[in-house]
Amino acid sequence: MSTAVSPSPVSVDGFSFVQESGGIQQYELDANGLQVLLYPIDAAPVTSVMITYHVGSRNERTGHTGATHMLEHLMFKGTERFHKEHGTSIFDVLQRVGAEVNASTWTDRTNYYEMLPREHVGMALDIEADRMRNARLAPDDVESERTVILNEFDRGQNDPTRRLFDAVWSAAYVAHPYHHPTIGWRSDIETMQPEDLRHFYDTFYWPNNATLSLIGSVDAAADLEAIAEHFGSISSAPHDIPEVRTREPEQRGQRRVTVNQDGELGALLSSYKVPHGRTDAADAFDVLARILASGKSSRLYRRCTDQELTTNVFAMNFRMRDPSLFSLFAFLTPSSTHEEVEAAIEEEIELIQHEGVTDDEVARAQRQLVAKEAYGRDGPYRIASQLNEAIAVGDWTLYTEYIDRIRAVTPQAVQQVAQEHLHATQNTIGWYVPDA
Amino acid sequence: MDRSALSYADRVHDRPVGPCRLLTLQMPVDGFVSWRGSFRTHPDLGAHDDLVQRLMVSMLDKGTATHDRFELAAVLEECGAQLSLSSDGLYVDVSGQSLTGDLPTVLDVCADMVQTPSFPESEYPKVQAQTLAGVQRSMQDTAPHASRALMQRLFSVDHPNYSRPFEDELERLQQTMRADVETYHHEHVTPHAFTLVVAGDLEHDAVETAVRGAFDSWEGTAPAPTHATRATACAPGTATVPMADRDNIDVRMGHALTLRRDEDAYLPLYLGNYILGGNFSARLMNTVRDEMGLTYGIRSGLSGISTEYDGSWTIGVTLSTEALQQGLDATRQVVRDFVEGGVTEDELDAKKTTITGSYKVGLATTKRVAQSLLTNAERGFPVSYLDEFPERIQAVTLEEVNDAIQTHFDPGALHTAMAGSVPASVDEAGA
Repeated sequence: MSTAVSPSPVSVDGFSFVQESGGIQQYELDANGLQVLLYPIDAAPVTSVMITYHVGSRNERTGHTGATHMLEHLMFKGTERFHKEHGTSIFDVLQRVGAEVNASTWTDRTNYYEMLPREHVGMALDIEADRMRNARLAPDDVESERTVILNEFDRGQNDPTRRLFDAVWSAAYVAHPYHHPTIGWRSDIETMQPEDLRHFYDTFYWPNNATLSLIGSVDAAADLEAIAEHFGSISSAPHDIPEVRTREPEQRGQRRVTVNQDGELGALLSSYKVPHGRTDAADAFDVLARILASGKSSRLYRRCTDQELTTNVFAMNFRMRDPSLFSLFAFLTPSSTHEEVEAAIEEEIELIQHEGVTDDEVARAQRQLVAKEAYGRDGPYRIASQLNEAIAVGDWTLYTEYIDRIRAVTPQAVQQVAQEHLHATQNTIGWYVPDA
Repeated sequence: MDRSALSYADRVHDRPVGPCRLLTLQMPVDGFVSWRGSFRTHPDLGAHDDLVQRLMVSMLDKGTATHDRFELAAVLEECGAQLSLSSDGLYVDVSGQSLTGDLPTVLDVCADMVQTPSFPESEYPKVQAQTLAGVQRSMQDTAPHASRALMQRLFSVDHPNYSRPFEDELERLQQTMRADVETYHHEHVTPHAFTLVVAGDLEHDAVETAVRGAFDSWEGTAPAPTHATRATACAPGTATVPMADRDNIDVRMGHALTLRRDEDAYLPLYLGNYILGGNFSARLMNTVRDEMGLTYGIRSGLSGISTEYDGSWTIGVTLSTEALQQGLDATRQVVRDFVEGGVTEDELDAKKTTITGSYKVGLATTKRVAQSLLTNAERGFPVSYLDEFPERIQAVTLEEVNDAIQTHFDPGALHTAMAGSVPASVDEAGA
């Protein structure tokens, strides 16, 4: 049963067709450089409208950490047209028609999305276009939202695993802004001024720093016309969008951090510096993550969980815009020690470095990733989520070409990336040790 | 013809297949299916069978009469299929996703696990230790502590909505033996009320053949229900779970509801609660978060409502220690105003369109459709109920909503439970 529709590019005044890949067409709005992705899928009469700004916590400066996230909250406080005072708050207007509405921030991007019945796509476009340049960012709203965010921060700090994650990233990066958590440091949240947020907004929220995606029930010609109507009058940024110039200096030795917090069971996070998400090496690390820790056939399940060293162990390859971390999370059993688990993980990595992985392991990992990719197309929201991450990494075709890239990974490539990058000198290890 | 425009009643194939009620639905996705299923086990909750059931389910993938744990896992992992078995109160649930061509293989594995588990002796201590560790890890989190403390105030141990204290759970899990688990499987795991829903890129007959091949020989005598149906009659009060190093406090307020899911008052009450705390633009979020900035999240809901036993009305809010008192007071005030003043026609109209619109949006994935069809079947509702739901919502009147609120919600009867580093100065009884 075929669902993806791959029509020919349409010609709409004001747009240039850029490329097509995997059923997704890319256009550019000539007036201001807004990138537009259209992905028609013959499914339910529902559309995901998502705008991804190419700004995240990697764009923040010391003293202003958390600006990305705080601004995302403030964007829901509205504009002159969409505001609670007029009974037209963004949530009211969108949720009234049944839209699922939210936003998220991460190191490399900020995205706002609405999944809603097809007939209301124009409403979502109207709101996103309006708040791109007309957000109120009122001082009163900043104050009331500051305490909301502090509560969100405290919720995160309740979780030892979250503290461990933040501690390891902070130790792994000393210069690059991946050093600080996307929610920001508490003192920065407490002291962020409305003018700081206004400056951040005026620096990054422009059409030529954004990608607008429509996924699901899409009528290319009609939707492009609607996009031109709503976004066409917005000018491109009057300045160059600032680049992140800081490169992380070479790590020259293992780093260790310990998190103490009241709790029951310990955990361990071992992370290695790896290349950015657009490289072939990142594909090999995706396969390696499966071989190490996906399912009962995986090496670390057999070595750790089945041997009662851990209750769970999993691997994550964070594919990011800049050089990132390949991470192994292990949750200890009451009877195991951090030293034992750390040694077991290191032994398995050394084994792969010396002896490589088997054809069967790679083939199984590839089949798992192909199936996962198929499941990831279960509805417009899941597609939008994955496309969003590819946009953030800096090349949206990573989403459409992902399966081909994974199928090209060889056992030799997996061994090679393990040998080149999984060194102690590139390793940051964090232990969560409960204060019980 | 756009098949998605037809009703579920027209599109869902619903028939008995061996011991199973099988519902299948074609959906426009490429090459995969999702499934959700359940069968009733009727654990004796008063005898802590819920914990025995949890251990039993955790043992199902550890080996069968013909395959060891790694062989079972290999079959699934070779094709990237997901299969999950979980304990769910009076039921055991099965769920998963696979590429369409792999469905017969995955269903065979599922049937093997459910019908002929071997409960290997070497695996039981591991499963028991991992289950205990899972409980200990949950104990680090404020939310389950608060939720459990509230449920303990509202329900008795033999009620499906009760949640036992963590310490009790740890002790009883430690006392449970492998033989208890095997006996429980023998006595409770039968195809009683076995329902399976498969949705996605499928051929109805092919799924039917696969289900028949996997489950045709499954049989057994249905266990008798033993659970309580009524909530505990108990004066409102407060439970506090002190936890160190937890500056965010999880708060739950609630009282029991005698309302059943199939009563006429359910939808009016559901709409009323939605106006109070159903989404971002509901009164609680609007006031306590958006206007006052006191919380990241606050919601209210009708919890544990079924066609068979009492449920509850619950309000959940997270508050930092410095905002705790103000947040508690503000939440209680919004709830009081809501019940005393009722809701307006405008609010009702807005939430009707929200609910009917989000209903359409929510059914855009195979997973959500499969879950909705299963839940609907468990309630004993016909498939056509899913088609009628939006019309039923639209038909609810303002008078019905305000009557339901007055009849079923009582701010004076709310219990409160809090977990975290709760300051000693907090006024637990409320302003």
